[in-house]
Amino acid sequence: MAVIERINELESEALAAVSGAGSTGDLESVRVRYLGRSAELTEIKKGIGTLPVDERKQVGGAANRVSRSLEAAIGSRSQDLAGGEREKRLREEAVDVTLPGVPYPKGSLHPTLRIIDDVVDFFVGLGYRIAEGPEVETDYYNFTALNIPPEHPARTMQDTFFLDDGLVLRTHTSPVQIRTMLSQEPPVYVVCPGRTYRRDSDPTHTPMFNQIEGLAVDHGLSLAHLKGTLAAMARHTFGEGAVTRLRPSYFQFTEPSVEMDVSCFVCGGADQNCKVCKGAGWLEMGGAGMVDPAVLSEVGYDPEEFTGFAFGFGPDRMAMVKYGVPDLRLFFEGDLRFLRQF
Amino acid sequence: MRVPLSWLREYVDFDLSVDELVKAISLHSQEVDGIHRLGVLDGEVVVGEVVEFGPHPNADRLSVAKVDLGGQEVQIVAGAPNPYPGARVPVVLPGSVMADGTKLRKAKLRGLESNGMMMSERELGISNDHSGILLLDESYEVGRQVAEYFPVGETVLELDVNPNRPDLWGMIGVARELAAILGTDFRIPDISFETGGPPTADYGLRVEAEDLCPRYDLRRVSNISPGGRAPLEMRRRIFAAGMRPINAIVDISNFTMLETGQPNHVFDASRVREGIVVRRAKPAEKMKLLDGTTRDLDTDMLVIADEERGLVIAGVMGAEDAEVGNETTDVLIEVATFAGQSIFGTSARLALRTDASGRNERGLDPNMVPFARDRVASLLAEHAGGTIASDTLSHYPEPVDSWEAPLRLGRAELLLGIPVERDEAVGKLEALGCGVQAEDGRISASIPTFRRDLRREADLIEEVGRLFGLGRVPEELPKTSLSGGLTPAQQKVRTLRRLLADLGLAEAITYPFGPDRWRRDLSLESGHEPPTLANPLSAQAREMRSMLLPGLLDAAARNEAFGVESGAIFEVGRVFEARPLPEGKRDAALHFRLTGELNQPGTDAEDGASSFMGVEENQRVGGVLTGAIQPGGWNAPVRRAGFFEAKGIVERLVPGASFSPEVRPFLHPGRSAVVRAGDAAAGWVGELHPETAEKFDLSGGPVAAFELDLAFCDPDPAPRFQPFTNVPAVSRDLAVVVDSGVPAGDMLAAVGKTGSTMLAGARVFDVYEGAQVPEGKKSVALRFAFRGEETLTDEAVNGELDRISLCLRESFGAEVRGD
Ligand SMILES: [Zn+2]
Repeated sequence: MAVIERINELESEALAAVSGAGSTGDLESVRVRYLGRSAELTEIKKGIGTLPVDERKQVGGAANRVSRSLEAAIGSRSQDLAGGEREKRLREEAVDVTLPGVPYPKGSLHPTLRIIDDVVDFFVGLGYRIAEGPEVETDYYNFTALNIPPEHPARTMQDTFFLDDGLVLRTHTSPVQIRTMLSQEPPVYVVCPGRTYRRDSDPTHTPMFNQIEGLAVDHGLSLAHLKGTLAAMARHTFGEGAVTRLRPSYFQFTEPSVEMDVSCFVCGGADQNCKVCKGAGWLEMGGAGMVDPAVLSEVGYDPEEFTGFAFGFGPDRMAMVKYGVPDLRLFFEGDLRFLRQF
Repeated sequence: MRVPLSWLREYVDFDLSVDELVKAISLHSQEVDGIHRLGVLDGEVVVGEVVEFGPHPNADRLSVAKVDLGGQEVQIVAGAPNPYPGARVPVVLPGSVMADGTKLRKAKLRGLESNGMMMSERELGISNDHSGILLLDESYEVGRQVAEYFPVGETVLELDVNPNRPDLWGMIGVARELAAILGTDFRIPDISFETGGPPTADYGLRVEAEDLCPRYDLRRVSNISPGGRAPLEMRRRIFAAGMRPINAIVDISNFTMLETGQPNHVFDASRVREGIVVRRAKPAEKMKLLDGTTRDLDTDMLVIADEERGLVIAGVMGAEDAEVGNETTDVLIEVATFAGQSIFGTSARLALRTDASGRNERGLDPNMVPFARDRVASLLAEHAGGTIASDTLSHYPEPVDSWEAPLRLGRAELLLGIPVERDEAVGKLEALGCGVQAEDGRISASIPTFRRDLRREADLIEEVGRLFGLGRVPEELPKTSLSGGLTPAQQKVRTLRRLLADLGLAEAITYPFGPDRWRRDLSLESGHEPPTLANPLSAQAREMRSMLLPGLLDAAARNEAFGVESGAIFEVGRVFEARPLPEGKRDAALHFRLTGELNQPGTDAEDGASSFMGVEENQRVGGVLTGAIQPGGWNAPVRRAGFFEAKGIVERLVPGASFSPEVRPFLHPGRSAVVRAGDAAAGWVGELHPETAEKFDLSGGPVAAFELDLAFCDPDPAPRFQPFTNVPAVSRDLAVVVDSGVPAGDMLAAVGKTGSTMLAGARVFDVYEGAQVPEGKKSVALRFAFRGEETLTDEAVNGELDRISLCLRESFGAEVRGD
């Protein structure tokens, strides 16, 4: 039967075209040519109704078989071609991954304030709040209330900046402790970070520097609580291995007064030539002590009922030690070569 | 206080290495600031006798000696010319290590072998004298170790003595302290002497300024052999302790001060007219001092005088006039205590600090006076052949006696956090010189007068704690149930700083005081005088800042000078403004500042306190942007500092802020805006006026800056949920032509007020001025998003867009472009 033969011819012709198609585009043309609306095979199918009844079944069956066979062949060939083309495209899309990414801005936080934030967070975890006060302070809050009466030598030792009569730039953040105690009843647990000023300028002193002081007043606080608090802070800042020791010292507003050392976090005392601790094995962290009963009385607390401890650190120096900064003056020059390192 | 250890051993025995000693002192008493070494650290120094001495054949400036070291003769090349055959000299042998760490070796000097070194006083740590070899007298036996006569090497501890411990400014005090730490005994030198000669009472003593001089003693020593030197060991000790040996009398005076901590003065009696008068300086009185300077005294200063003239600025320094010299044979020894604050003030006003004033300004123990007085006298008798008068003159009208201080063991345990055994506590207090009575849990200590710092229970508890050892104190944490945290305002500052850093700015801390140039260069109006420092370090750091800007500009200029033209810095800090005191309240304000008391009837305490401060502080955040604030990349454009770069930051800090033009003298008049949060002015943003930039030495193109009151910043506003629908928004663009001067912000605001229920967003996406639009006009391209409950029809959206166009036309004369 001529039609059936033609169908078979079309099949072989089409299968050859399918395997010859070099791209998905070519393959689509092949599909249109052999299976499309006006393809010969489609025309044949449309004409089946006009065929004699006994031929219809045979021709219909052959046409459908070939349609399915071609569709399967096109489908399979299409997958092969698409896969190859995608691979090629991906190869062409490759970039030089060593080129830099899009530059998102990168700023920095001041090294001292990084330390302050960190220390503050530690004390917040212990139940402390942050207390703040003015930088221009009265003579009374800065000195007298802290057990440093007029004419006391400690006043000139502190190289104070004076403003209008009776006003100074605070020489420490201790007046914030006084203001805090005057404004509330115990228990008090506060840290006071902030800028402080002394009339001093050389490679190791700047007329402005930062302090963080802490104050706790409660029933039954002892030197052991102070030591435990400082030791926990040292471990937080310098690592679990940090060991703390107290040495006797002298401050007007604490009695007993102590100095706190932390074991050198670089050498642990093992290196005579250590740049950080200069071979001492210890780093001076700051002063502390039990709040002097005279100070407690001054703010209206009963020293027989309450005891307290206070401590102070220099976060600038902590930053120098922690980040290896050799010169304190760098902290306050706004030098981008310095600031951008943090 | 410099403590030579060989000297310390005269008063207390200890068997500790230097490191152990330093540790014992620093963990129980005072900080050890330094360790100094003098002389020979390790090795041998032998008494030698010069056998031959002559010029070096190959060098003009060198000599060569043959020295007998006791049976062994060695050749030594020397630089000094003073030895001679028969002279006894100290010889340090090869292999010895000197104070500076160098090791002495056999050497060939210009062809001749040198087997050791003859030593000068300086090389032995006796004085700074390096002019020749130290010549020893006949009492030094040839061949013996010099160390058998005096220490050839010295270790000196530098104690940083706390101001409450003047007793530690003397060797005896240090020895007592060390003995207390180690639990051992210490010794005080025995003083015994015979008396004779002319009486002290040939001279008078009159103390006029009793308030400044609690005690004044005189004792005469006559018949002194003139012009003598102090014994070598005394000179060596004085030098090791940091003073300069002078002559026998002065050295004995200084030695006693170093030993006892009690300054004293020795007058040449022949120059004292009639007697000693202790008085305040007279108006316009001058004195020519030992250091060669002439000082103008004021009437608050205490002077030791005779009936005619001033002899000493009390406790500080003597006049040239009555100084002992090489001809002195008859002296008056002054040992006195003065009011510490007076000495301190005098020393500060004259800018004159001496070993004596440093001790006197702490207020000394009057009961130390007799010991020091007689120690000077006995040493003068022993080493200068003096005869000690049998009588003393003493003015001591109100003798100080020891006082009692209590100590409750329970209280000590509470404060120290350790068990305090009664007997141990008693032992420690006794070691400090206290007389102690104990009963049950109570101790009563009778405090020796040289420990004026021990007055109260807390003082005794400190002594017990440090002598027990603070190492005993355990580590505990307080058991508080308080919840800590940052206040919202404090949290806000944190967030804001981090945000600015994330936006690419570097955080700086700058000084809050600067030059008056700041105000001039910013063209700020005068009249608003800022608070100023009365004693600035320099005129460049005198005025408190009223803005953060100038300090940040100085920093930017400095960066530019160092080649960093580009960058963005910010600071969070205080600004200061003078606030006039309430009318007629200056005295009340001063009273408050000095005493903390608000004694104003009817004044609310808080209000009074802040109005009496006279200075108002406000927290600000400021930033300065220069150059390429964001560097370009191979795939990203450069972003340069400009108005909108700064404004973008401000928009993040003050969400919902509105901006309107406002001229500030230091800003570009067409590129500056006031920032408003609601109705309140929150600060400003703008580009720096080119003139201002020039004045601040900024030459690298536009500088943008902003400064905001922290109270108005809200970098992380509290979120609030807004419902949304899943119907997609329809986006439409509208380009209109308006006059150049029409603010785009006003157009957006007008669109917002049309009351459209569909309008979900509106923004400006392009602004164009140029050839495509008429002169004086600009094209503004707006993009709108519309959204409804269900998908919007074109018809609805177009209708809405027409309403918007109409509104823009009516309000701004806008013509729709591009149809
Ligand atoms: Zn180290």
